[in-house]
Order: sequence, then structure tokens, then C-alpha cells
Amino acid sequence: MGLRTLLKSGIVLDMYFFKNNRFAFVSMLLWPYLILGLILGMGALFGSAESFRENVGAAVNPLTYFVASTLAAMVSLDVMWGVGGSVLHHRWIGTLPYILLTPHRTSVTLVLTYVPRYLLTAGIQLAEFAPLILMTEGVGSGALKLGVMALAVTVGMLPILGFSALFASFLLSIKEETNVLSWVNPLILLFSGAFYPAYLLPKWARLISVALPSTYTIELARLSALMGSPELRKVTALIGILVAMSAVYNLVSGLVIQAGERRAMREGAI
Amino acid sequence: MAVEAITARELRKTYITHLRKGLFKRERQEVHALKGVSFTVRKGEVFGLLGPNGAGKTTTVKILSTLLLPDGGEARVMGYDVVEEAPKVREVIGVSLTVEKGFFWKLTGRENLTYFGMLYGLDGRELEKRVQEVLELVGLTGLGVADKLYEEYSLGMKARLSIARAMITDPEVLILDEPTLGLDPPSARTLRELLVRLAHEEGKTVLVTTHNMFEAEIVCDRVAIINEGKIIALDTVEELKRRVSDKVSLEVIAAPPAGVPVASLVEAVRTTVGAPCEAFPENGLVRLKVVQSPDRVEETTSKVLRLLHERECRVRRVEVKEPSLEDVFIQLTGKTGF
Repeated sequence: MGLRTLLKSGIVLDMYFFKNNRFAFVSMLLWPYLILGLILGMGALFGSAESFRENVGAAVNPLTYFVASTLAAMVSLDVMWGVGGSVLHHRWIGTLPYILLTPHRTSVTLVLTYVPRYLLTAGIQLAEFAPLILMTEGVGSGALKLGVMALAVTVGMLPILGFSALFASFLLSIKEETNVLSWVNPLILLFSGAFYPAYLLPKWARLISVALPSTYTIELARLSALMGSPELRKVTALIGILVAMSAVYNLVSGLVIQAGERRAMREGAI
Repeated sequence: MAVEAITARELRKTYITHLRKGLFKRERQEVHALKGVSFTVRKGEVFGLLGPNGAGKTTTVKILSTLLLPDGGEARVMGYDVVEEAPKVREVIGVSLTVEKGFFWKLTGRENLTYFGMLYGLDGRELEKRVQEVLELVGLTGLGVADKLYEEYSLGMKARLSIARAMITDPEVLILDEPTLGLDPPSARTLRELLVRLAHEEGKTVLVTTHNMFEAEIVCDRVAIINEGKIIALDTVEELKRRVSDKVSLEVIAAPPAGVPVASLVEAVRTTVGAPCEAFPENGLVRLKVVQSPDRVEETTSKVLRLLHERECRVRRVEVKEPSLEDVFIQLTGKTGF
């Protein structure tokens, strides 16, 4: 019943929110450039563009590389907050019982109300970076790289949705009210290779990295910076991994969130 | 056709809690919230579930709203089982659990209702029309605040919006948990009138929980008194009052000296007169209420006044009244209000 309405409701909620909070809208627009500025500033403080090229081992523009990293990291965080953190948010403001009372399964409500909002936010962020990439890379190469980034944030969202729904189920069942995401998210980004390439991590951390969908989203987005014909096969492989992970995580989350909801309803966690 | 909108049979619920004892040690504790609760709510009536804090009212409401699974027993809403047919139950109920939160602070009342309406499957013109109808029904358009941000609402307005959301899908049954809790008297009165109107004019079945006897007396067609997880009485208000018709209530309004615990005062009165006593705060004073048979009222009055004098309490008013629902409650539970 009303899945289209459910999808629409997420957009409506954001529109209302931004209409009533102009500063929140402005800060959303500024945020990607603030993060990129921070990363580039830190890089300039400890190294240079030349040393970066030497370390990465390819003729890559650091600006494009970090735009891709920033975009992937931000959208990964956004999904974690938007779906996984939504249980916390609804619990804090007291809307959780009314979300559970909708005629849909909780995982469906949490995910479908979020997806359009995600696409809107990711689209705005990509559009914000577009002039920078086109100026840096030229129109032809820039457009191709923006295309791969768009693909990364769209396909990359799918498994992270399932992963975040699993997390939402966990938060639902344990009656958690503290902001656990504030320390879980940086760890996820660390293991996903957002700060350091994943291959530099210790072996045990690399095992975690392999299981995290955000690893492949970040990798795919970064690949756009290294884009040339030999990398095309790698792009396809990463998309394949993301699609497979989407199937696994979303299937598992669909089952687990029902169990989580049942447990919460048994223990009075709602 | 069945006349019951809600039936609860032998509902039982135990919560498991863990009491932290030191850094690593936790002690498992069982809280028996419901110990076999049974009642029936007829279609089109306002049914009150009356009880003190911790009696099991919210647990019962959550089970009936499909938000909590019972450990035992059975409950049905409009014929649907709350465990096995939860989605069906959700289609026929409107729920209000708390009045002070449960909405988005940065959205207006109308925007909040539009969002929740969409979550519950309404859209387009139908949604717009319904939002306007419920806003008018609860009087928020009349107050001119439908398009104000929720964060600017008073508690009374929030309570009205909560009922408006419960009504958004035009459900047959309304389940409202303490809808007037914390409201100022005018707001509470408006809301009570609304509840009666919803049942008697709109044909809704209303299950309302409260610990306010006065509210139950003027709003509810029938009342179930719940105490320590059990229904201890269920009838119309008039019938319940008739149970204590051979009693009168002695009310003494007094100002105890600073530092004297009201609970100790209540206990002293109980011991002295050998009858149930209840205490209520009233404009900075304490209203002591003793339910007693008429032939002993003179003796009881002098005993209570002597005790209060000994405890240095200043007595402001003494009254002997006909029994009320409050007296029924005191008689049945022997509970103190503090």
C-alpha cells in the first residue's frame, strides 16, 4: 500500500525542513567544500601534490582524487545517519512508535522514506563539485569522471542501505538511546579506507574492510580520478561486488530487522 | 454484528530489567506489569482505564496498539488479533502515546500531519482535505496555529495535534494514553469535550487512560480501575460510586509545616482513624481525604483535626462530601496520591 507515497514523503519532509530552516539548507550547500578544504588543507600541511602523485603511483590530480573520496565518504555517512541513525533520531523526538505503526514493514518505511532524500542530497553535492572537476580535468574527461562518481554514489548506496538497516535493527532491539553512530561512523570510514588506503591497514582490519560495502563505494569513486581505459574492467568488477553486496545485505537486513522489531516489541524497547 | 470494539482476555506481561550493581555485576529483575488483565470496550463508548502510575495502563495500551507483545492472554481490536493480525489492527486504530513530543519541531502542525498522513498511505487532495478536517476538528485552525512551527506550540496545542494525528486516517478506534497529562485546566477541559464529541458525535470508540479521577468521571461511559497489573473494578461511573454509597468522604485542606513528609502524615491519619486515606496537592497545600461511614464521620473528623494540630499543620477547610469516583478508587486500592 502506497509505496510511491512513502517515497514521496521523504522528499516532502526535507522540503518542509529546508523551507523552515534556511540556515540548514545553506550549511548543507557549504558542507562538501568545507570537508574538501579540510582534507586538502591537511594534505598541504603534511605533504605536497608531487609527493601525493609519487605515493599513489599514477599521474593523478590530487584535487579530483580527494573530491571523489570526499563525495563517497560523505554519502556513506549520510546513508548510515539517514537509515541507521533514523531509529535514534525518531526515538529522541518520540516519533518512533508512530513510524512503527505505519502499514509497512519498518525496514521498508525507514529505507523508502530515505532513498529520495539521499538521491537529492547526493545529486546536490555532485552538482556542487561539477564545476571544479570540469575546470580541473577539462570537459570531456571531467564529464566521464563525474559520471563514474554519480554511478559510485548511486550503486554504492544500495548495499550501504542494507548495511544501515541492519544497524537500525540492532539499535531498535537494544533500546539504545546514546549516539553510538558518532563513534561507529569514523571507524567504518577508517576500515573502508576513507582516510588511508585499505591495503595499508593491518590484516585483521583488512578483513573487516572486505565486508564493508562502503569500501567498494569509496574505491569506485576514487577510481574515477584514475580513470583511463585499462581501469574500465576494474570499474565493472567493483560494480559487480556492490550489486552482489546489495543483494546480500538487503536480504539479510529484511530478515533481521523483522527479528529486531519483534525483540523490541517483546522487551518493551519501543 | 459484534458490539465489542476491543476485547482483552487475561493479558500478561513481565518486563525483565537489569539493576547495575558495581561495574560488571548486574542483577536480573522481573517486573510483572500485567497479571491477567481482562476487559471489553463497546463500540462508540469512551472507556477509561484508570489507575495510579505504574499500574499497567501504558503496557495495556501498547499491547492494544501492536507496539508490545504480551507474554500471555489474547487481545482483539475490531475482531483482529493484536499479535497475529497486527497490520489489520493498525488500519483500524489511531494512537496517541505522549502529548509533549512525537512530532518534528521544525515543521508546522499542518506539515507534520501531512507527513504522517503520507506515511499512513494518504496522498494528494484526499490528504489535504483530511489534514484540514482534523485540524478543524481539534480546534487548531480556530486557534490560528495550524501553520505555526510545532516548537512554538503550548502543551495543550501539542495534545490537540497528537489527537489530530490519531484521527488522520479516520480510524474506528482511538487509543489515547494520558491525553491530558500536564495540561492546564482550560486545555484539559477542551480536550475532554473533544473526546466525548469524538465518541458520541463521530461514532468513534475511545479508550483513554488516566490517573485523573475527575476526568474519568466526566468523560468516560465506563471505567476499569487497574492497580498493580490487575483490573480491580469495571463498571459505569454511577455503578462504581454506588459501591461506596454507604460512605462519605471527609476532606481536610491543610498546610503542613516545611520538612514534614506528606506520606508520613497520610500514614499517621490512616493509623489513627483506621480507614483509607489519600493525599492530593492543591495550590501549595495538601488535601487529605478519608472515606468513612456516615455514623463515624464526627469521631473521625475530631481525630484527624487533633492529629493535624499535634503535627503543627494549619487547617484551612474541612468538608464532608458525597462519594466520588476518587473515593471508589481509594476504597479499592488504599493508595496514596504522593
